[in-house]
Amino acid sequence: MDLRLPSKVLEHILSFVDSNEDRNSVSLVCKSWFETERRTRKRVFVRNCYAVTPEAVARRFPETRSLTLKGKPHFADYNLVPDGWGGYAWPWIEAMAAKCPSLDELRLKRMVVTDECLEKIAASFKDFKVLVLTSCEGFSTDGLAAIAVACSNLRELELRECIVEDLGGDWLSYFPETLTSLVSLDFSCLDSEVKLSDLERLVSRSPNLKSLKLNRAVSLDALGSLLRLAPQLVELGTGSFSDKLDQEAVSKLSQAFSEMKELKSLSGLWDVLPEYIPLLYSVCPGLTSLNLSYATVQMPDLVELLTRCSNLQKLWVMDLIEDKGLEVVASSCKELRELRVFPSGAEGLNDTNVAMTEQGLVSVSEGCPNLESVLYFCVQFTNAAMVTIARNRPNLTCFRLCVMEPFSPDHKTQQPLDEGFKAIVERCKDLQRLSVSGLLTNKAFEYIGTHGKKLRMLSIAFAGDSDLMLHHLLSGCESLNKLEIRDCPFGDTALLENAAKLETMRSLWMSSCCVSFGACKLLSQKMPKLNVEVIDEHPLETRPDSSPVERIYIYRTLAGPRLDMPEFVWTTQKNPEIGVSHLAIK
Amino acid sequence: MENSNSYSPYSSSSVDSTKPSPSESSVNLSLSLTFPSTSSQRETSQDWPPIKPRLRDTLKSLCLRQRRYNTALFVKVYMEGVPIGRKLDLSTFSGYESLLENLSHMFDTSVICGNRDRKHHVLTYQDKDGDWMMVGDIPWDMFLETVRRLKITRPERC
Repeated sequence: MDLRLPSKVLEHILSFVDSNEDRNSVSLVCKSWFETERRTRKRVFVRNCYAVTPEAVARRFPETRSLTLKGKPHFADYNLVPDGWGGYAWPWIEAMAAKCPSLDELRLKRMVVTDECLEKIAASFKDFKVLVLTSCEGFSTDGLAAIAVACSNLRELELRECIVEDLGGDWLSYFPETLTSLVSLDFSCLDSEVKLSDLERLVSRSPNLKSLKLNRAVSLDALGSLLRLAPQLVELGTGSFSDKLDQEAVSKLSQAFSEMKELKSLSGLWDVLPEYIPLLYSVCPGLTSLNLSYATVQMPDLVELLTRCSNLQKLWVMDLIEDKGLEVVASSCKELRELRVFPSGAEGLNDTNVAMTEQGLVSVSEGCPNLESVLYFCVQFTNAAMVTIARNRPNLTCFRLCVMEPFSPDHKTQQPLDEGFKAIVERCKDLQRLSVSGLLTNKAFEYIGTHGKKLRMLSIAFAGDSDLMLHHLLSGCESLNKLEIRDCPFGDTALLENAAKLETMRSLWMSSCCVSFGACKLLSQKMPKLNVEVIDEHPLETRPDSSPVERIYIYRTLAGPRLDMPEFVWTTQKNPEIGVSHLAIK
Repeated sequence: MENSNSYSPYSSSSVDSTKPSPSESSVNLSLSLTFPSTSSQRETSQDWPPIKPRLRDTLKSLCLRQRRYNTALFVKVYMEGVPIGRKLDLSTFSGYESLLENLSHMFDTSVICGNRDRKHHVLTYQDKDGDWMMVGDIPWDMFLETVRRLKITRPERC
């Protein structure tokens, strides 16, 4: 008697299984379940584009509708990955175009996307709906025009912090008059001015438009007319907020804002003048997300704004908010979940120190019971503050502290910040992401290795005394998935001793450390399922094995060595003449 | 906060002698590794503090704009051969053209940028590294950041 479920029944059951984690488990049960699952998977996430080949993915999941890909390592955001390293979208688009005709959503992060890629997308996928590019580069506004003109059912086009060759604002005019399906449009990273009349027409024929993020070139005056055409917006990114408007224009704009009953998220606000802050008061009570990272508003004006934002869950702001402003946040924004404070002084904007210290974050940790995610740039910190924060908020899941001067100790006790981070990892049992800074000894990493059991991503800069630091982390942090390290003076021993751990992680990045060329070769030989990439702009053939390399990027992969490595990326497979040394590294 | 990016951990300028120095603690130097030479490249590169490029660019342009609005930028101006100099607020000019116009008026002669010319006075400046450079090669905003003083050279000299 055949006890197998008919595949149609299994398919029906699987249609209720959404999570890919569950689907991965389903696919391991037996061959027929594997087959049925793979034919019915609709969304595919590939978090390292070099971990698997595009052809393998396209072949396995022919019915997929949505593909999410990530390319370059995270430190590429801070200019640590040289141009030309890789992360090309083209092979993926080509493979999907050939095998997955139902694809209608593409989300790419830190990848190189060319105009040819965009043209290929426009030409290959009928009914393409969603294109979200985050921190991507390599394309121009011509590519955008290709998408605009061809994708007649486009729903989302979002360019988040991309580097685009801006050839002008014409691309927007390519959206046909028949396109009425737009739900989200984000062109905030572009510089050129788009034609206002085209934008207005696009907005007025898009009744489902919920999210609109304009670029800086869109004037305040233009904003008024756009808001009147789209009062239903849930997310708004304004353009420049600084033109001089006459009294009538100001009151019209104020009226437009007060009509926006659905608005939950506000961003943009470039150059916002203090006298225009009151224009925003009417939307404040409804806001759950406020991004003021480009608004150089001083503390008193920020306070006026934030006292009215009682439902705020996410706040991104510059340190111009100061400790006093954060105290106001602590008392007014009781629903706050995520706080990011950026350094206005990073490029010399504030020659006098802004009055923001560790106290600001302590206040927020006291006042906001739901606070779970923090990114905090500051000039100094103390262990006592971190202990208090940990005690107040054991529910933290993400704690990223950047004390900007490397090797800064606790400014009150002059001690390393070991005890502070110990408190954080000990108390915050669900901590998944941690960035450390300041003066740290190996003790800090011993604590992290001992307590950071749920830690998935860890970022370290200018820290530690020796290889023990790395050893503590690799042997202690069971859930470690991504580790990125810069400017720490060690590497070899811990790396080689914990080589097996690297196969359980997505990736390891180390730059400006002391990982020797010989260790890289040995590791490469020991661990064939890893790609050990040495990224070094100086020739390696004549280097002695003991010489340190500039950067290493190690990641697990099923695809083997990649075929698109530039000159400055070395692996033992690509450069076999380097060979494996027999130098025994202790 | 100071603008310099000299974060090489092994340069004494960034390490306070009262703090435990990383080079004094037990660093594993069994392979006699020297600190990578790229640290000096990093001093001038844009990778610390770790903020994204767009925010960094925005801060840079805001910084310059704020300087222009809030602070005057007085520099000394000398004409070669004239012992007494003048002082000029560069923040009042929109660009090289208006600067030259003003200087020509102030010194009652024609002052130009670039190209050495037997006839005209050429404008030079001393930058923050102490070097004397030809005015006009770099964007105005960048020039304001780096200029320390101005000198109008005699025609034949340049």
